[in-house]
Amino acid sequence: MMEIEMVSTPRVRILVVDDSSLVRLYYRDALEKAGFEVEHAINGIEAMEKVLAQAFDLLIVDVNMPRMDGFSFLRALRRSAREVATIPALIITTEAGEQDIEDARAAGANFYLVKPVSEADLLRHAVVLTGAST
Amino acid sequence: MARSEAHEPRAVQITQEDVRRLCEFLYRRTGLSFADSKRYFIDRRLAERITVTQSASFQAYFAILRSDAEHEIEHLVNAFTVNETYFYREEHQLRCMTSSLLDNVVRGKKAGQPIRIWSIPCSTGEEPYSIAIWLMENWSQVDSYNIEIVGSDIDTRALKAAADGVYGDRALMRLSRQVIDRYFQAVAADKYRIDPGLRNSIQFTRANLVDAQDLARYRDFDIVFCRNVLIYFDDASRRMAAENLYDCLRPGGYICLGHSETMSRISPLFHVCRFSDAIVYQRPETDHDGN
Repeated sequence: MMEIEMVSTPRVRILVVDDSSLVRLYYRDALEKAGFEVEHAINGIEAMEKVLAQAFDLLIVDVNMPRMDGFSFLRALRRSAREVATIPALIITTEAGEQDIEDARAAGANFYLVKPVSEADLLRHAVVLTGAST
Repeated sequence: MARSEAHEPRAVQITQEDVRRLCEFLYRRTGLSFADSKRYFIDRRLAERITVTQSASFQAYFAILRSDAEHEIEHLVNAFTVNETYFYREEHQLRCMTSSLLDNVVRGKKAGQPIRIWSIPCSTGEEPYSIAIWLMENWSQVDSYNIEIVGSDIDTRALKAAADGVYGDRALMRLSRQVIDRYFQAVAADKYRIDPGLRNSIQFTRANLVDAQDLARYRDFDIVFCRNVLIYFDDASRRMAAENLYDCLRPGGYICLGHSETMSRISPLFHVCRFSDAIVYQRPETDHDGN
């Protein structure tokens, strides 16, 4: 049977925002293996710069980061008058308290996962939140 | 000057006494000690440095060395500490880290806190990169903590190579194709460059194991890999290095040595821990004096 390669299909783009380089790398590898295109940012400020300059289908955001944390970034993004305000956002954090989850919702997160997140879990949520086909 | 000539050691006479003086000097300044059996090894590297510095005699070279003109001590040490290593060397220790050590390390930590791992000497970077790759491939909690990996060496040439992160086939021989594809990029025939993200996740620094002052800025490590360097030291330097490493560890932290090395004969400071994958040494949770 002939295989059809769809080279021209634009890939689903994800921005991973985390201050730990190993965590960024770990998520990126998992996502790239599944065919997503991945960019990263090391804090909320860099994330905001990237979001305003490039198109993304999903933001995967850590909470505790220096300079600008994940919640502040999301709040600022959701307040923006531009199209970027509605990009889906998945919060992945070590904080597992009820209040943290409520804060994430209030900041504009679409979903919330507590670390450690397995590769399978990460991909499942990335697929659901981007509507990507696998 | 033709290239071949530039690297051909000139026939400068080196006596046994010269070598003794040199070794004594090196030992005082760096803690590195060389047995008589290493005479051939020393002669060759010494001859190289005499040629490179265009010294007319051993005496002339020794004067340069003693004044440390143009960082000659560093150059000589670099010439002496050439190492060849590869990824996933001593895999049982990496396995021990993820199957035993980290369970104990994270017991005292909250998620999100740093886990500090030190590779000293890290030579050309294979070990710290191996640690990072191993953790990503084998530790399910890798994203739950802020893992900081530091690679240190006394040899600045090795450190530069580590930071460049380009390796030949031989260094990658123990890695699966899948791991190579994931973390390396082929840059030339038989040459692979480490992923820039991985490269940036490791901090490379120069450090001297027997210099307590130098090591004072390295603290709170949870796990230290210090393999195959203590064998180069004599008893006094070994003890000094062990004490320095003790101070660099967090209480309860672990140190992994080379398979032919043992801490027991060097220093009574550490507990011996026998795990199924490896023997490692632990800084006790509380100091001997109860503090």
